Order: sequence, then C-alpha cells, then structure tokens
Amino acid sequence: MKRQLIAAVGVAAMVVGLAACGSDGKKSDGDSKSSSSSAADKYKGKTLKVWLMTGSAPKGWTDAVKADFETTYPGSKVDFQIQEWDGIGPKVTAALSEGSVDVLEIGNTQTAGYAASGGLLDITKDKSALGGDGWAANQNEAAILDGKQYAAPWWVSNRVVAYNKDLWAKAGLTDTPKTLDEFYTDLDKLKGTEGVADPIYLPGQEWYTYFGLLTGEGGKIAKKDGDKWVGGLSSPEAQKAFETYKKLQGYSATGPKDKDEATPQQKDVFAKGNVGAMIALGWELPKPEEMAKDKIGFFPLPGKTADKPSGVFLGGSNLAVASQSKNTDMAKDFLKVALNDKNEGLVAAAGNIPNKAALNSQITGDFAKAAQTAAAVGGITPNTPNWASVEDKPNPIKDFLTAALQGGDYAATAKKYDDEIAKRLNQKQ
Amino acid sequence: MAVHSERVQAPSPDAGEAVVDGTGTTVAGGGAGGAGPKRTRPPGAPGLGSRFAPYLLLLPATLATIALLGWPLVKTVLLSFQNLNRRQLVMHLTEWTGFDNYKEQLTDPDFWSVTGRTVVFTLVNVVLIMVGGTLVGLLLNHLGKRMRLALSISLLMAWAMPVVAATTVYTWLFDQQWGVVNWFLDQLGWHSMADYNWLSSQYSTFFVVILLIVWQSIPFVAFNMYAALTTIPKELYEAARMDGAGSGKIFSLVIFPNLKPFFLATTFLEVIWVFKSFTQVYAINGGGPENLTRTLPVHAFLEGSSGQHYGIGSAIAVLTILMLGALMAYYFRIMIKQEDEL
Amino acid sequence: MRRSLFGRTWPNVIAVVLFVFFIFPVYWMVATSFKQDRDIISKTPVFLPLDGTLDHFTTAVNAPNFWTYVANSVTATVGAVLLSLVIATLASFAIARMKFRGRKAFVLVVMIAQMAPWEVMTIAVYMISRDNDMLNSLLPLTLFYMMMVLPFTIWTLRGFIAAVPKELEESAMVDGCTRTQAFVKVIFPLLAPGLMSTSLFGFITAWNEFPLVLILNKEEGKTLPLWLSSFKTAFGNDWGATMAASTMFAIPVLILFIFLQRKAVGGLTDGAVKG
Repeated sequence: MKRQLIAAVGVAAMVVGLAACGSDGKKSDGDSKSSSSSAADKYKGKTLKVWLMTGSAPKGWTDAVKADFETTYPGSKVDFQIQEWDGIGPKVTAALSEGSVDVLEIGNTQTAGYAASGGLLDITKDKSALGGDGWAANQNEAAILDGKQYAAPWWVSNRVVAYNKDLWAKAGLTDTPKTLDEFYTDLDKLKGTEGVADPIYLPGQEWYTYFGLLTGEGGKIAKKDGDKWVGGLSSPEAQKAFETYKKLQGYSATGPKDKDEATPQQKDVFAKGNVGAMIALGWELPKPEEMAKDKIGFFPLPGKTADKPSGVFLGGSNLAVASQSKNTDMAKDFLKVALNDKNEGLVAAAGNIPNKAALNSQITGDFAKAAQTAAAVGGITPNTPNWASVEDKPNPIKDFLTAALQGGDYAATAKKYDDEIAKRLNQKQ
Repeated sequence: MAVHSERVQAPSPDAGEAVVDGTGTTVAGGGAGGAGPKRTRPPGAPGLGSRFAPYLLLLPATLATIALLGWPLVKTVLLSFQNLNRRQLVMHLTEWTGFDNYKEQLTDPDFWSVTGRTVVFTLVNVVLIMVGGTLVGLLLNHLGKRMRLALSISLLMAWAMPVVAATTVYTWLFDQQWGVVNWFLDQLGWHSMADYNWLSSQYSTFFVVILLIVWQSIPFVAFNMYAALTTIPKELYEAARMDGAGSGKIFSLVIFPNLKPFFLATTFLEVIWVFKSFTQVYAINGGGPENLTRTLPVHAFLEGSSGQHYGIGSAIAVLTILMLGALMAYYFRIMIKQEDEL
Repeated sequence: MRRSLFGRTWPNVIAVVLFVFFIFPVYWMVATSFKQDRDIISKTPVFLPLDGTLDHFTTAVNAPNFWTYVANSVTATVGAVLLSLVIATLASFAIARMKFRGRKAFVLVVMIAQMAPWEVMTIAVYMISRDNDMLNSLLPLTLFYMMMVLPFTIWTLRGFIAAVPKELEESAMVDGCTRTQAFVKVIFPLLAPGLMSTSLFGFITAWNEFPLVLILNKEEGKTLPLWLSSFKTAFGNDWGATMAASTMFAIPVLILFIFLQRKAVGGLTDGAVKG
C-alpha cells in the first residue's frame, strides 16, 4: 500500500516535471512566442498512426499513452495499429515507402537496417528532449547508425532460468546456484530425482542463449575487419561459449538438437511439470491454470565465477519516426509522451527492462528482477544494416548449433557458418 | 474423337453445310443469331452483331487480363533489370542494372540445382496426384450414396483446409517427439522410428512435403473426375457393357476418350500448381535442411522478399516463368493441336 | 451382373481407408483446437480431448477487429468469385462454341495466365497499387483475386460447355430459341457442376490468399489469413489458437460445399441430359 502511494506521488511529480521539459523542448523549435494553448492545439484534427507489434506493448500502456497525448494536445488522435510478426520485414519496408505510418516499433536488431534504408527519421537533435541523456548505453547502441540517432530505445528483455520449485525441493535443492559449476551439480541432482524427465529443457537451436554466453565470454558473433564483416564462430571465445552451451544442452534429453524454443513451445514442455528448468523470457511461461505462479522461480543463468552471471542477449524494441511521415513534429511529441518516465514506468512494471537505469527500481516481478541482474552483462547483435538477413530463415547460427551439437568437427563447422554469416553481412544494400 | 473438322477461320463462315460426323456431332460454325433450318447452321452472312459476338464475349476477360495480370507481369520484368533493395523501395529510387540480376543467377550453381530439383519434384507430385485422383474419382462414381457422401466430405475437408493450417498440422503430425506418425510407427513395432526426425534429411523432408501436397491435391482431381464422369451419357457405358467390355476396357474405351480433354487440362493445371507450390515447401522446413529442399518459387521468395532484394527476386520470378513455359512447351502444342479438333 | 461379396466389399474398404487418410489431419486440427496446452504436446497422443477447453476459440474470436476481418474476407472472396464466374462464362462460351480469328491466341493466353507465379509477383502488384493510391482497399484485392482464379474458371467452364452435346443446343434453336436463349435454357443448367467446382476453387483460392493482402492492406482491408497468422508471434506460436482459428476458417468453405453440391446435383437431374 505504502509503496503504491509513493509510486503514485512519484508518477505525479514526474508528470509535472515532464510538462516542464516539454515546454523547454518547444522553445528550441524556435517559435517560443506561441502561447501554451495554441501550442496544445497545434495537432487539432490530426491523427498520428503508430504501429506496434502484437504482444509487445505492456497492458495499459497504449491506453495510457493515448490518453496522455490526446489530453496534452486536444483534438488530436493517436491511432494504434497492431501488426503481426509474419512477413513483417517487407510490410514495414512498404509502409515506410508509402509514408503511411508515423511512428513505429522496430526490433532492436532490425533498427540499423531500416535506418540504412532511409526510412527512419534522424532524431539526433531531439535526443535530449526525449530524455535520451538517461538512456542505458547498451540499449541505445542499437538505435544508432553511423553516429546518428534513428530511434529511441523503448525496452529490452532477456532470458533467465525459470525453475520448477517443487522439483527442486524434491531434489533437495534449497538455494539457487551462483556459478555454472554449482548449476551443473544441481542439474545432476535433478537428473537422479524421480519424476524428472529433463533437468533442464534446452533445444539445440536456442541461439539467444548461445549468443548470451558468447557475449559473456567477451566474444562477438561477427566483427568488422577493414570494410568486410567476418563471422565470429571460429573465435576461441565462441568455442568456449559453445562448450558451455553444449554441456547445458546435454542435460536436455528431450530437447531436440535441430529445433528452437518455439517448436514445440518450451513453455508447454515446462508446463508438464517434469522439467526442472528452462531458459525463458518473461512472457514465455505457462498460464497460471497450467502451473501456479508461485511454483516457478527465477535466477539469472550463473557465470563461471560468482561475481557476475552469464551474458545474455538483450532483445527488445525501439520506437522510430518514419522519415516520410507527414507529421514528424507530432511524432516527436508523441515519443516524448510515450517515453516519459511515467509511461516508461509502466513498461518496467510489466516486467521489462526500461530504457533508463533510473527507472529500474520500478521493475516488478520475480522474473524481471532476475532478468535485471543479467541485463547488465547483456549485449545485442552487431549494429549493421544487414544483420536482419542473418536472422532470416535458415538462420546460420541455428544451423551451426545443430551441426556442432551433432558432433561435427568444430573448426570446420564454425568456418562453414562463419562464411555464411559473412556472406549475408557483406551483401550490397 | 475422330472429328474431321473443317477449320473455318474466315471472318464470315461460308454458307456451306456444317460437317456432321458419324456420331452426329455438328461442328460448330460461326456464331448464328436467329433460328435456322433444321439441323444445319443458318446460312448466309451473319449480322454484324454475331460476327463480333465472340470478341464482345471475350472483351471483359481480355481487359481484366491485360490490366490485372499483364501489367504486373511487365512490371516484374522491369523490376528484374533493377537493383531494387529495401533502400530503393523506401526512397522510391530506380537503379537500372541491366542483366546483372540474371547473370548472377544464371552463373550460380545453386540456381541450377534448384531448377533441376523443382522439375523432378513437380513430376513426382503430378504423377502421384493424377493417378491417385483418377482412382479416387472412379471410386466415388462406384460407391453407394452414403459412402460417397462420407468420402466426399473427407476429401473436401482435406481440400478446404487452409494451407497454413494444413502445413502446421503436418508439422505436428511428423514432429520428432510429439508427432502422431512416429508414435504410430512405434506402436506398429517399428521402434527406430519412435524418435525419427523427418526434417533432418532432404528425402524425408520431401516425403512430408509431397504427402501434404498430394493429400491436398487429390480431392480436386477426384472431384473433377467425378463431375466429368457424370457428364458421360449412361448409354455409352451400357453400350460398352453390352459389347462385353470389362472395367479396364470401359476405362480405355469409354471414359478415357471422353475425358481426354479433362486429363490433359487437369494434368496441365497440376503441373503448374505443383511447380508453383510455395507455402507447403516453405513452411514445412523453410527449404532446409541446408537449402536442399528449395524449389524455384521458394528460392525466389527467400532471395527476394525475405532478403528484401526485390530485383533479384523478380529476376528469379521471370526465370521461373520461363522455366515453366519451357516445361510446358510440349504440352502447349498438344493443347493447341487439340483446339483444332473442336 | 452378379458380383462376389469381395467385389462388393472392396470399394467400401478402400473408401474407409481413404476416408481416414483424408480426414485425420483435419480431425487432428479440430481436436487440437479443443485441447489444453499440455495435451497438445504429449508423448502419448490424446486422440479425444475429453477435458477439452474453449479457450483457444475465445482467444481467436477475441482477437482485435475479428469481425472486420470476416467482413473483408467475405466481400473480397465473394466479389472475386462472382466477377470471375460472369467474365469466365462469357469468355468460355466464346472459345468453346465459336470459331473466330484469334481464338487460339486467346486460349494460349489463358494457359499462360495460369502459370503466373503470384507469390513472387507481389512486389510488382504492390508497387502498382501503391503508385495508384489503391492501398488498404478491398477493390484491388477483389480484382486481383478475381484475376488469380479467372484463367482457371475460363478453362474449366469451357470444358464443361464443350461437354454439353451440341445437339441439345441445336434442338433448342430448332424449337425457335435464339442462341442466347438456348444457352440460358439448355447449357447453363448443365453447367452447374462446372460452376460448382470453379466457384469452390475460386472461393478457396481467394479465401486463403496471404502474400498479397499482407503487403497491400496493412491497416484497413485486412482479411482472415492475416488473422490466422496473428497467433504466430516472434516468441513462438500459439498452436491451440492457430488450430482453433484454422478450424473456424475452414467452416465457410465446408458450408459452401454442402450448399453447392446440392445445387449441382439438382442441376444435373433437372438438366435435359437424356433429351
């Protein structure tokens, strides 16, 4: 109760603070003379089209942002369009070419590609007005191309170990592991426990986990060598990361080596109650009626030493303004409202990592707290326009994992898929 | 169909009598408006209206084809000569590159292995579909009312199933761990199949894809076969039976000759559809493993739309049309020849 | 015409086997849509979801704008089918029954039009629609769907028209009908099976179409296949909801079939096949 009250007061204070910010921002536009009422009216009768992806915006966020914006600018309208993931690439490209969308959500690994296509508005100048000075550096990295800001970080999320508390208790485990070695010991105990089919469920193509391990080892999935990209799977760091991955995957008797976490959905596998743990995102959990919430515990995948967890892949979304939008000022003002501390707080409250470290205190939920610890050692994919094509089917990282797990010669396998990664990254635009 | 037709190609059909063959079928002459004398086409020069009648009848179809198909086709050809990637599309840029896209594809060994694979893939599917569909169609004609209805419903369901859904279900049926097929084979005593991964090799992936396509295509052929069978006058069967013909004879003497146009047309359609089939191949295994199950349309899509290299995609699309055209050239000739017999 | 017991039984046995072969995947789709998530993946398949759930259907129907999608799909599909039937009937009559200069050329065009690989032509169609300001509308969608099924419809109807014995038409004309009247009174009723299979084909094709509508109509004018795919997210697929949606998606086609089949059978018996 008390905490809620404090939060409410805090939110109110922030809204006031933001209103002040907003008027500061407007001054820099030049027309400082305009009275506040006419400034508020400037979008009268205008509609802003905002594209979000399905399942992305936290509950209540769209309503709050819409209400805030339409109150701040009476007579304006925000039209949220929810887009499906299937075929999203060509669809976004098309929309950008039409100028039919004003603001859009773009996956952080895809942002550089769209920025390079010319479809995103350069908002370098607006960065501070949007609150950009407080953005977490490892998130903002994905919104920049060639030194220019093309998007605003919105949120990221990362995977942690979700474990079945009942099974862990049955195996006599009382505490969560602090190092990988401790984790292996726990998994061995789980393996010998009755009713445990899999100490951990980890399909062979869960490349996000592998990517995290690689980041934790200080490696890169691809590097720029002169003006050419080269794949990083052959690096010693990558091999170390693979050894860890292989060891973990080895505990997953039923985890297919040639499938990813979506086929079948690992949450459904986990829901059966005979799996000790899985490495999952916050929304990748069984429904409460399938497995009670308090039966699931979380901890970040431990590191080799106790001082920091293993690295993670920071998947997330940015918000960007379309360069061919006819309402760019309105779009920028929308971003100010959408990304203000109050609304960004909703993102944190929903269990995502917000774009500012200052808001991390608002993160709620066991999952998000575990995720937050690991996010500090998180990384994202190389920030280059062609990255998205590496993730296109067939994803060479997934195929690499399958081939290497099936016992292929490491050096040769790594070389083969490094070549494929390089080929895709070096395509001409 | 031993009709010795006079090809009346002159704008105004001559006034001669229509040719009547042994079975009494009149060969159609030019269009005729009013009622004429018995059993013959109305003589004399037909009116202006009937002279243009065929063209008027074809006008809507022609206009639609030019606007809705011709235009996109021409556009595709134009795009195939452009460097058209994400940037060019977003910024509305036109960058001509001549034959670069074509050169890139035609010198790429992958393109040629995809082409060869597509041809074999098409042949295998079409043979299975045509033989299977014909047999099922004959069976439908043979069954009692209730059984026919039951089988019709199951056929229709297979046919009506949305391709996306069908593909998803097949993925599940053949899933390595949770799939019913593996479970069933295991129960039958084939225990090594209990954990078999159907998508791990080229042939087993193709097996699943082909089964899916054949499963969804047979109903079309079967229904058409059945519908066509019902247009054969019963007297013909009776006459054949009276002459002592067995089932095989009836098929080769009555059904096949009567339905020859049907077989030609259906095979033609199936070749095209199978050749073009995209969703099934793409969704089952994304052209994998190791790109070994890519067919031309999937290749065009993965290189073009998926990779957003629309110029290259268009070039592959054009090459796909040309390949299909080459594959069908012989067929076209038969079909066109058959036109003469009408 | 005596037949052995075996001779009478075997077609039925084969029919039963085929019945199972064709229906099982469909059954599996329907059954899956009623299953609890944990039963969907199960080492021993759950053949009959006794403790079924309607959750997946609720998810599917409660998807945003569901009813708009339904209306759009119905409009575009029915529009495309009817248009193509009208245009194709005219054209197929001409090429089946008339001789004229350019007939073969037209037949050739129809054959070539069959080969159009629409999946890979989407970008061209898109650019044309975009540059003519026709996005997010049902009109271009309906027209292009019509075009997708038109060659097939012409092709099939022409076969059906050609199969109608010419004597029937002629005797009608002898009885004083004009050619148009002869067509309407004699040929048209006999075309019922042809119209049935072509309109079903057209319906299924247009109803299922995905790549084009995906890129053409991103806001208004979305159709049901997009809704179907909305249960696939970047984070994995909601199989239960996908199957529930697929089940609902297939129902209109089934209804149409049952309706058309009755018509077709009626048309056949009413028709003057026996003179």
